[in-house]
Amino acid sequence: MDEEKMSKLFGSKKMSLWVIFGRTFGYIKSEIFFFILAIIILVINVSLNMILPLVMKEFTNTVDFAKSGATFQTILYLGLGYAAITIVNQGFTYLQSMILQRSGQKIIYRLRNDVFNHVEQMSVNQLNLMPVGSLVTRVAWYTSTMSDLFTNTLISILRNILTIVGVSVMMVVISPKLFLIMMIFLVIVFVVSFFFSRYVKNVFRQERAANSDFTTFLNESLSGEKIIQLFRQEKRKEMEFDEKNETIRSLRMKAIRAFAVYRPFVSFLYYLSIAATFFFAFRFELGAGDVVAFYLLLSNFFSPIEALADSLNNLTRAHTSCERLYNLLDVKPDVLDKPDAIDVKEFKGEIEFRNVYFAYEKENWILQDVSFHILPGQTAAFVGATGAGKTTILSLIVRNYEPQKGQILIDGINVKDIKITSLRRGIGQMLQDVFLFSGTIRSNITLHDDDSYSDNDVMQVCEYVNADKFINKLDGGLNATIIERGENLSTGQRQLLSFARTVLAKPQILILDEATANIDTETESLIQDSLNKMKNIGTMLIVAHRLSTIQHADKIIVLQQGKVMEMGTHQELLKQKGMYHKLYMLQFDPKHKF
Amino acid sequence: MLFGKYINKFYKKYWYLFLIGIVTLIVIDYVQTLIPESLGQIVDMIQGSTAPKEKEVMDLVFKVVMVAFIMAIGRVIWRLALLSAAARIQLGLRQDMFRKSQRLSQTYLHNNSVGNILNWFTTDVEAVDDLMGWGTIMLVDAIFMSVLVIIKLINVHWVLGIIVIAPMILVVVWGSLVEKFMSNAWDRSQKANDDLYDFIQENITGIRVIKAFVKEVQQLHAFSKVAWKNREVNIKFARLSVLFDVLIEITLGIITTLILLFGGYFVWMSFKNEPLFGIKIDSGQLITITGYFTMLIWPMIALGQIFSMRSRAKTSLGRITSYLNSPEDIVEPENPVVLDNAKGEITFNDLSFAYPENDTDCLKHISLTIKAGESIGVVGKLGCGKTTLVNSLARLYNVEKGKILIDGVDIMDMSLVSLRKALAYVPQDNFLFSDIIKNNIGFGNMDFTLEEIREGASFACVADDIEGFEDRYETKVGERGVTLSGGQKQRVSIARAFLMNAPIMIMDDSVSAVDIKTEESILKNIKEKRAGKTTILVASRVSTVSSLDRIIVLNEGEIEAFDTHENLLKISPTYQKMVMLQALEGERG
Repeated sequence: MDEEKMSKLFGSKKMSLWVIFGRTFGYIKSEIFFFILAIIILVINVSLNMILPLVMKEFTNTVDFAKSGATFQTILYLGLGYAAITIVNQGFTYLQSMILQRSGQKIIYRLRNDVFNHVEQMSVNQLNLMPVGSLVTRVAWYTSTMSDLFTNTLISILRNILTIVGVSVMMVVISPKLFLIMMIFLVIVFVVSFFFSRYVKNVFRQERAANSDFTTFLNESLSGEKIIQLFRQEKRKEMEFDEKNETIRSLRMKAIRAFAVYRPFVSFLYYLSIAATFFFAFRFELGAGDVVAFYLLLSNFFSPIEALADSLNNLTRAHTSCERLYNLLDVKPDVLDKPDAIDVKEFKGEIEFRNVYFAYEKENWILQDVSFHILPGQTAAFVGATGAGKTTILSLIVRNYEPQKGQILIDGINVKDIKITSLRRGIGQMLQDVFLFSGTIRSNITLHDDDSYSDNDVMQVCEYVNADKFINKLDGGLNATIIERGENLSTGQRQLLSFARTVLAKPQILILDEATANIDTETESLIQDSLNKMKNIGTMLIVAHRLSTIQHADKIIVLQQGKVMEMGTHQELLKQKGMYHKLYMLQFDPKHKF
Repeated sequence: MLFGKYINKFYKKYWYLFLIGIVTLIVIDYVQTLIPESLGQIVDMIQGSTAPKEKEVMDLVFKVVMVAFIMAIGRVIWRLALLSAAARIQLGLRQDMFRKSQRLSQTYLHNNSVGNILNWFTTDVEAVDDLMGWGTIMLVDAIFMSVLVIIKLINVHWVLGIIVIAPMILVVVWGSLVEKFMSNAWDRSQKANDDLYDFIQENITGIRVIKAFVKEVQQLHAFSKVAWKNREVNIKFARLSVLFDVLIEITLGIITTLILLFGGYFVWMSFKNEPLFGIKIDSGQLITITGYFTMLIWPMIALGQIFSMRSRAKTSLGRITSYLNSPEDIVEPENPVVLDNAKGEITFNDLSFAYPENDTDCLKHISLTIKAGESIGVVGKLGCGKTTLVNSLARLYNVEKGKILIDGVDIMDMSLVSLRKALAYVPQDNFLFSDIIKNNIGFGNMDFTLEEIREGASFACVADDIEGFEDRYETKVGERGVTLSGGQKQRVSIARAFLMNAPIMIMDDSVSAVDIKTEESILKNIKEKRAGKTTILVASRVSTVSSLDRIIVLNEGEIEAFDTHENLLKISPTYQKMVMLQALEGERG
């Protein structure tokens, strides 16, 4: 795998802000109407917010009945007006939030489906390279960060800018001169806020890094507690812990100190601006209502700037999330169908390897010049030490990987020319480590393909593979709950379920990577019996760890370090007196018979 | 504020910080009420019949500037005092918790997942410290600010005061209701998020199965369902939270309207010289009252939130307390026997063992003696008790039935330090720390020289591998040693134990991922470099142990035989069976 692809997988390939914006826009295009609607409502909202101080201004002037000469009726209108504006305004706020929420969730939903689907399409070797956790983060959280960018961050930036503009306009309307003086304060808050947010962003980053370092350390210490205690390193680990703990505290204090200067400073400027309003009220001959309105407007003048500085940090975070997400979406699966790939409905089951070479990394051959030929309906077994390449042969047949040299043919067709889906449909794989999903027995056998199979179908298959007995004993039978990874079932039971899963899919070729785990004798005999039955389904390839499974195989292939050493039936191989014979003698020598 | 066994000492330690912070908060709360007063005064001055004197105006402006100044200083002080107290409590609490973790037994660690314990260290400690810092601030603020403002309100106009205060009580009730309601809704939305997360996690982990059975489409459907539910729940949550916000804003708007209407009416009547309730009130005072009202909003809402914040912190502290209170079962005996320079003779005396959560014994009546300096193999089928046997020797679990003696001393009577000095252990899981190789090999003593570390590496036959790495002994091994192969990890962990130079070395299935040649070299090294010292090798392959002095064959927790390789071939059926089966695994045997 080359560097370009690796950097895409891990999401480190850089993208410009405009590329990211453009691509993200593609996802929100369908919601653009609602987005614009939300912006329109936002403008109305901000404007209404600006009118409230005006109402208060009128009220203050009116309530000075001596000068205004008004009556209580005016007060009544103003009061009711205030209530009406508040209610209408809040109604719009509700509307706007819900429109954005709905659109945002819709975008997230669609994006998640896309990303999940994309991950499912990726090749096994690509998935092996990525930690599961990082894929999960991409599907679950980065998608929501991305939609947040439009529904939250951008909207709040817009709202804050509009608010500043709105407040400024109102101030100019009331007193342009006083507004100019307020501008001095605004500029100071502006400059200070941006420097501060930059500084604090750094501190926060350090804090996050320290926190994750702390958690990693703690996780490691707790997991390795046995070693620490056995090697009597408690004191040293305590010192290391104290150091990390102190780092967190000192970084926190850094942030606390920064905020302890910044926040009071901004509020200091706010109160100073009020003092300035009072001071200039007489020089500029403002009315009492003007002063009250200014007082109210000022409370909305500085906070949008603080929020704006915050939003900038959010923007950078959204940027990284999007970058990683798009990088992942740009990964093309390694193993792809050829454009003219054939859809094979049913295989006869003839399998041939012609001089196959395979390596995960360059020249480090796992398989070398492997050739063999298995006829339809035959059972073939692979024998050899760990690392001899047995399991690799099986993954090449189902195209989890592609061989570097040589050909693999099924029914005389190169597997590369067969559609991957039809290939895998025809081949039933029983993997060494049986993976069960949380759900029910049934959902694990059908793998959520509930429409295609009736309970009866499923039960029949379970009987066929001898799984019916234990399933019937379970509370709920086919609907019995299976917890994560099937930990409430024994290894043998899990194996039987994996058989059932395979047989239900009606394959013509069966692949079995036999598990090495210890299984109680009763289940063991059930498994053996069911394996014998399955041999009749079609061609069967077995990676064997138990010799009893393979004695009756039509072809036994002995591998060593990726090369085929011997091949033949049990009897033939015994006559050759080679490796297989040695193995057999060790097991079946009468002196060691058990 | 929250009290408890493990938290009170911090109050004692940092009382001055709390005192400074709380006093400043109260001063500031008082000073802050001067602002609405000033606003009323300026309104009066402007609307007054005679033009105000320059000095009057300057006094007022000066007052506001002073208030601004005092508030800025005060805010700096309470932030520093109370928040740093909280940060120190966090530090102290975590320190206590980590010290506790160093004394936890394997039993405890098995019963409590690392993830859970991590949560206590992070989320729960944070909840407590949040309450200590911000909780204190909110509480003091809410109480004093509202008391001050209410007194002032009543002073200005008691009827208007009641008109403001009565609905504010509604806001408090409202706030606490919202908190309760919202935290339920929040839990539901978190659960939907967790479900989604779990689904993705599980399906990506099991994706090989999905691909093998070509069920990608069905999985996508199943995923869509979960994602759809997530979407619905999140929208519901958003609707609730927006609705509550909007309703609280509307309530506040209506209270403002009430002030405007009633206040306006009172001023109107005062203007007509028919003051209601006999109180004359002017426009300036009315404006002051609206100012007071704005000051009341935040503390009232906060008051509602404090309750749920406190109950969260209380639950968290409960978890932390029960963790810190958890009994320690591997403890120093009352009169510990100190054993220096152990020779390495081990005696098992009718040892039976059952894991705490299990009734059946995994070891049954084990009695045997290993002579000092012997090299011993332990074999048997999976789950026959091999690891349990060596684990109880290391007292990772307490010996309850029967006895284990080292040099004639019961390990339950021995000081833990002596016992652990006498033993070097290579565990089955080969746990390595994310550190450089040098520090992993020299884990038992940071003073080892590079020379000694090299010697350990060459004993474990991992020196050549390490020399092949770009940074050699400075190579970082990644979390749990992921960057090393299984065999390399095993050998690094053998080197780590070897360097301890202990009279007894235990290797629990430590060469299973090592190839046959290397295994032979390691066995040769054991013979040469650990001559005269006891070495116990648990193995799954017969080849590993066949050359050792004697071999223990375990069968379902019982000793089937304890003899030399040659004799075992004759007398032990399990051993014979293993010899044959393992020969089939490949060219070994």
